[in-house]
Amino acid sequence: MKKIVMFFFITLNFSFLTTNCVNAIDMQSSQYKIQMSNVNSGSDYMTGSGSRLSMTLGQLAAEEFKSNGYLLKAGFQYINSIIPFSFSISNTNIDIGTVLPNTPATGATTLTVSFGSSGEYQVTVGKETMLKTFTDDFIPDTECDSGYSCTISSANQWTTTSALGFGYNMSGTDITADFIDGDYFRPFSSSTSPVIIMSNSNVTLNATPTPNPNPTIPALPTGTPRDIYHESTITFKVNVDANQQAGTYQTVIDFVATPSY
Amino acid sequence: MKRIKILKYILIFVFCVISYKLQIARVYAQHSSLSISPPIIELIIKPGKSVLVAYKLINYGDPTVLKSKVVSFSPKDNLGGISLKEYLEGPIRFELDNANLQLNDSFFLKTRDYQQLLLRIRAPEGAPEGDYYYTLLTETQPPPTLEGVTTSKAKAVIGSNILITVTSEGNVDILGKVALFDVIPRYRLNFFGNKINLFDSNDRIPVVLVLENKGKNMIKPQGEIILSGKIGEKSKYEILPQNVLAESQRLLTTKELMKTRYSSLELSGFFIGSYKISTTINFGENSPNIYASTSFVALPFRFLIGLFIAALLTVIIVKIYKRNSEE
Repeated sequence: MKKIVMFFFITLNFSFLTTNCVNAIDMQSSQYKIQMSNVNSGSDYMTGSGSRLSMTLGQLAAEEFKSNGYLLKAGFQYINSIIPFSFSISNTNIDIGTVLPNTPATGATTLTVSFGSSGEYQVTVGKETMLKTFTDDFIPDTECDSGYSCTISSANQWTTTSALGFGYNMSGTDITADFIDGDYFRPFSSSTSPVIIMSNSNVTLNATPTPNPNPTIPALPTGTPRDIYHESTITFKVNVDANQQAGTYQTVIDFVATPSY
Repeated sequence: MKRIKILKYILIFVFCVISYKLQIARVYAQHSSLSISPPIIELIIKPGKSVLVAYKLINYGDPTVLKSKVVSFSPKDNLGGISLKEYLEGPIRFELDNANLQLNDSFFLKTRDYQQLLLRIRAPEGAPEGDYYYTLLTETQPPPTLEGVTTSKAKAVIGSNILITVTSEGNVDILGKVALFDVIPRYRLNFFGNKINLFDSNDRIPVVLVLENKGKNMIKPQGEIILSGKIGEKSKYEILPQNVLAESQRLLTTKELMKTRYSSLELSGFFIGSYKISTTINFGENSPNIYASTSFVALPFRFLIGLFIAALLTVIIVKIYKRNSEE
């Protein structure tokens, strides 16, 4: 009997160890999703010399504050909501591994932008240095396959093992149109003149128009809200020949995410 | 015997407590995740005044060292893209009012921790009137070097835009004009000097509205695009009041949902006949309206071609049948 009680007790204890993900204010189900809910828990005040700005998260009209010589508005006025702008990189240490001559090596990381339903943003990329060793031996930027030259703003095919260099491919949402598939690569630009790799100019929702039975009146576009996460994968590729100096090659890639204006 | 029993219970209790402690959170590879709020501020300010704005920066990634700075930006294209500069331009001065933090200073943020950045924005006395555009950037420190492997280290930088108009009297320069208002047609015919935009009845109609701001201050267009047909049908689409920065152009967007990247609106449905699309835009109270219009013709080409082919085939079949029966 005691053994059964003890077994029950231990089992109960372990059952408490299984936890579920809990979201703070998760306003969605299989039936609905509220993208711009009235959540006033984040209300805050900003103060200045003789000024006070009331900020309210949510769909309530964003309060404008006018005082002696100021007019200050926070957040996108057409959405009337202060949505935080978030940017994630799944792995900041992209391990390309040991690179063997004429054997392309790759490494990837995922970029995620979350911007509620306001949508408009851009992500740029640029390298701080060449992919190089401490002794300044470097792997040159890729020029892609012979006859398929690529530039910092235009991807092209890079499939042959004889084409050397360092470059990247993009896949996922909001990427530029030149990344047709996984064989299309670009060389990195420098971080002083970065190029856009992800962007979106859609605001609010993205939906499919409802088919209209009436042939004379155009259908009103309605549908499901756009996913609030914009996610893409950047794949780094390195290919060297036997003449490449052995060593530890490294670089820093800057990913800059900014909302629109 | 009693002692052994008590010891047993103590052991079970300790075992349970330890098992709770063993519960671990999910672990990811070195992960960087930042969030900033507000994502944009718009400030109209008199020279000689200053404002304090509180930004909330949250680190959802691994513990990291961060650094914040302000740089200037300019509009890059007509899609709302920006081009960051490496330095600060213009007369506006920025500093942090945090007790232990200045711009360009490094600070540490644990996972799920946040830092309030109290940014003081000051327009000095004598600052020239006009618009100045900046971005508050916060960047992570790349991870340390790994020996023996080829690696690319990623640095995450997140921005929040600051749009500032300096004016002494509160007057702003509103000089907006429609740079382009048209549909992107499937076919365009030139009929005695008149351009006719032709679509199939089932085509989607992309409408492009580009507004040009020739003034020295940013403007916020308000208005609508109206689609009207010959038999009185009408649809209205409200234009989003997005900022058009000084001396730049912007592709405007409607509140309607469906659009492609390079259009303001995409009309869909079954169209037949001639349609007119017009737009009326103003820039707030007491500003004049600006107007533009275009038109298109939609016909069921695919249906008519199908009908023609079907009729042709029927005639051919009937003729063959007749010839065969005559023989």
